[in-house]
Amino acid sequence: MALRISVGQYYAADSTIHRLDPRTKTACALALMIATFFVHSPLGLAALAASVLALLLAARVPAGEVLSSVRGVLWVLLILAVFNLLLIRDGSVLLAAGPITITMGGTWSAVLYPVRVFAAIVVGALLLLTTTPTELGDAFDAACSPLTRLGLPGHELAMVFSLMLRFIPTLANDASAIMNAQVARGGEVARGSLGRRLRAVGSVLVALMASSMNHADDLARALDARCYESGGTRSHWHPLHFGARDAVAFAATAALVALLVTLG
Amino acid sequence: MAQPAATTTTSANASETPIVSLAHVTLAYGDLRALDNVSLDVRQGERLCVLGANGSGKSTLASVICGLLAPDAGEVTLVGEKVFEAGSADFDAYRRARRKLGLVFQNPEDQIVTSVVEEDVAFGPENLGLPPERIEHLVRRELHRVAMERYAKADPARLSGGQRQRVTIAGALAMEPRVLVLDEPSSSLDVRGRRSVMKVVEKLRGVGCTVVHVTHFMDEALGADRVVVLDHGHVALAGTPQEVFSHVEEVRGLGLEEPFAGQLSSQLRERGLDVSWTCDEGALLADLARRTSGHRAGRVAAAPGDAPHGGGAPVVRAEDVRFSYEQSRRRRRADAAPAALDGVTIDVPHGAHVALVGQTGSGKSTLLRLIAALEVPDQGRIEVDGIPTADRRDRRRLHGRVGYVMQRPERQLFAETVAQDVAYGPSNLGLSPSEVDQRVRRALDLVGLVGKDDASPFQLSGGQQRLCALAGILAMEPNLLVLDEPTAGLDPRGRRKLRRILDGLNADGTTLVEVTHAMEDAARADLVAVLDGGRVVLTDTPAQVFSTDNAEKLHDMGLGIPHPLAFARVLEDAGYPPLGDPLTNETLADAIVRAAGAADRPSAPSAAGTSATADGRDE
Repeated sequence: MALRISVGQYYAADSTIHRLDPRTKTACALALMIATFFVHSPLGLAALAASVLALLLAARVPAGEVLSSVRGVLWVLLILAVFNLLLIRDGSVLLAAGPITITMGGTWSAVLYPVRVFAAIVVGALLLLTTTPTELGDAFDAACSPLTRLGLPGHELAMVFSLMLRFIPTLANDASAIMNAQVARGGEVARGSLGRRLRAVGSVLVALMASSMNHADDLARALDARCYESGGTRSHWHPLHFGARDAVAFAATAALVALLVTLG
Repeated sequence: MAQPAATTTTSANASETPIVSLAHVTLAYGDLRALDNVSLDVRQGERLCVLGANGSGKSTLASVICGLLAPDAGEVTLVGEKVFEAGSADFDAYRRARRKLGLVFQNPEDQIVTSVVEEDVAFGPENLGLPPERIEHLVRRELHRVAMERYAKADPARLSGGQRQRVTIAGALAMEPRVLVLDEPSSSLDVRGRRSVMKVVEKLRGVGCTVVHVTHFMDEALGADRVVVLDHGHVALAGTPQEVFSHVEEVRGLGLEEPFAGQLSSQLRERGLDVSWTCDEGALLADLARRTSGHRAGRVAAAPGDAPHGGGAPVVRAEDVRFSYEQSRRRRRADAAPAALDGVTIDVPHGAHVALVGQTGSGKSTLLRLIAALEVPDQGRIEVDGIPTADRRDRRRLHGRVGYVMQRPERQLFAETVAQDVAYGPSNLGLSPSEVDQRVRRALDLVGLVGKDDASPFQLSGGQQRLCALAGILAMEPNLLVLDEPTAGLDPRGRRKLRRILDGLNADGTTLVEVTHAMEDAARADLVAVLDGGRVVLTDTPAQVFSTDNAEKLHDMGLGIPHPLAFARVLEDAGYPPLGDPLTNETLADAIVRAAGAADRPSAPSAAGTSATADGRDE
């Protein structure tokens, strides 16, 4: 297919990270992602970069795979860098040519902010690449268990979340096929008057909506047929349990977060 | 089978109480009676096939049988649970029954809930609350049964349709259902996928699992113990396959067709050959083999086919085209075979009907998109109507002239009414409203949807939606139509109708380039281009492509030969004189009659009783 979105695409491999309990993985990833916002110093940034690199190696996911799943945001980060470079005027002036002034502070921000965000995104991508949607659903389920105890649909939310991840590529393929078909009928989104473009967007969106409904109907039928019941008592093929590995992961994450916050 | 049976049914209790029993079941959606006073028993361990045209109520029946839909009236007993009686449903009984009923339906993609094969198979057993060790056992056993154990850790998104459908079947079987309902499991698959799914269905018979199989493919019904044909919600015919299909006229009238052997024996009888009608290929073969003198001669060389259309400049000219998806360059995983083209050169003569055949992933669909100017070659060039597709402005010009019919084109429907949807293309061409209107009328007329102008496209039947989408493309009046498996998923009547429309367009001068999985369709084209691994390995007339010289080559590429041709080869092996290379049932019937006429005197049954069937040939 012309368009393949790999958000939330699991990458099968046998690594320490893959084998961690999904709850551990999710909690640690979140802690680490939040910790990136505390990084302000070059030393902190270096520590962050090093730890993300170490994670990457430990997860045994090829760098290309990670990059392809975060490619979409690279442009945003690049723009963020350019804005920081041109607009922030702190510290000594490095270059002044006409309207363009580049300062030391601007250069630092152009490095710091994008790298920080990038690191956070890579951590998130690693979580998705090393955890199956079912496992993520289970982790989400655990996170929602206080809701479930209060009588709110925690399990169902978790299932919806996990199915959402599963169906992203399917819908992306549909969108690409429908877009092709409408372009062949002369309905190009990127061309013509505003009215025409809106009509072209509409023709794709409505068709995509209809096709999503079909998927949803089918999915509902499949879930019923496979006896998935809300509030049902499911068992688990691989029941979740915290092990020594998870304790180590928690300790390592805590140390890392502490380090990043201290280095600032 | 080495594994324990999926059910513990033995043939001894086959005569006991039916495992599923429907009595006077009626079910309506609004005004539409999907099921109308249906009474049906499914016996333990049997394979029941349900046939019927689109909209005959087959899928509704499947849903009722697997306990997902309660009727409005009647009585339903499923696996010993009286789930519906005297107008009311017993939901607890339904819940209990559902745990013993499995369902697999058309789109495998929508039935897979996670992104690892083995975890998906485990999903059902987990829902049943089985202990982990038991789940482990079931997952392994069922993956083995459907021959997918090598893909246990794979991502279903990277599997072929047939493989995915086998995963969903494993998922259903892992719940150890007493009855497995298959609702058109193979209608979205290619020939190879369909065959692999049918192999699994055959295996289930060996272990005594009761199977209710809804299908559009008549040949799949031949292995069933019993066939039920639905028409407008009621049972029109029931009996063994032989009994049901022998009602030739009725079967046709119900929008179905005879299986291959039935068609052929009918045609032979029409030609005055005294064979008994049968829908069993083996029986027909034995019958025919008895009539030959048994003298074996070498095969005749393939008849030189008609010269390909040579009239004027080609409509499409592709020269040394190379194309790869950006994605495929980045993905270096072994299982992600890049769907790319390499060194493709092909000319499509004006007014020709060209069939592109090849396995899933051979690049057929990609080539279509390139011809439709939706993608641009990385190397080489493609000219359509003399316009190269490399330039953006030129591509736009082509979007009116090349009609692109994607796979399941009904997905492109979006407007409030049929007329508005069909008008979308022509109005994008900037035509005057009256011209647009005329074109819409003409297109609707061509596909036979006149009078549906103001209906919502989403309320049309599946077959009509397909025609509506086609009309939306025809309204642009393209002189080149590229189609990606246009008949996939249609019932026999729908397939016949679409074929007629396409043949009509072709006769009026529209060039057709069609991707197809059915070799019988390819045999009716002017030219067949065979793709393999992103290359065009053969381009010639069907007679040449399917000639004996190429048989092995096609086989190695996982492709078959048209059924009539395969049958002729089996007959020749059984001692028939050379039958030439018949590509259609008609030419095959003619050839057989001729051969039988030559050996008119009945002679000793030299090679009778051979049990080979044509099917075995293109495995």
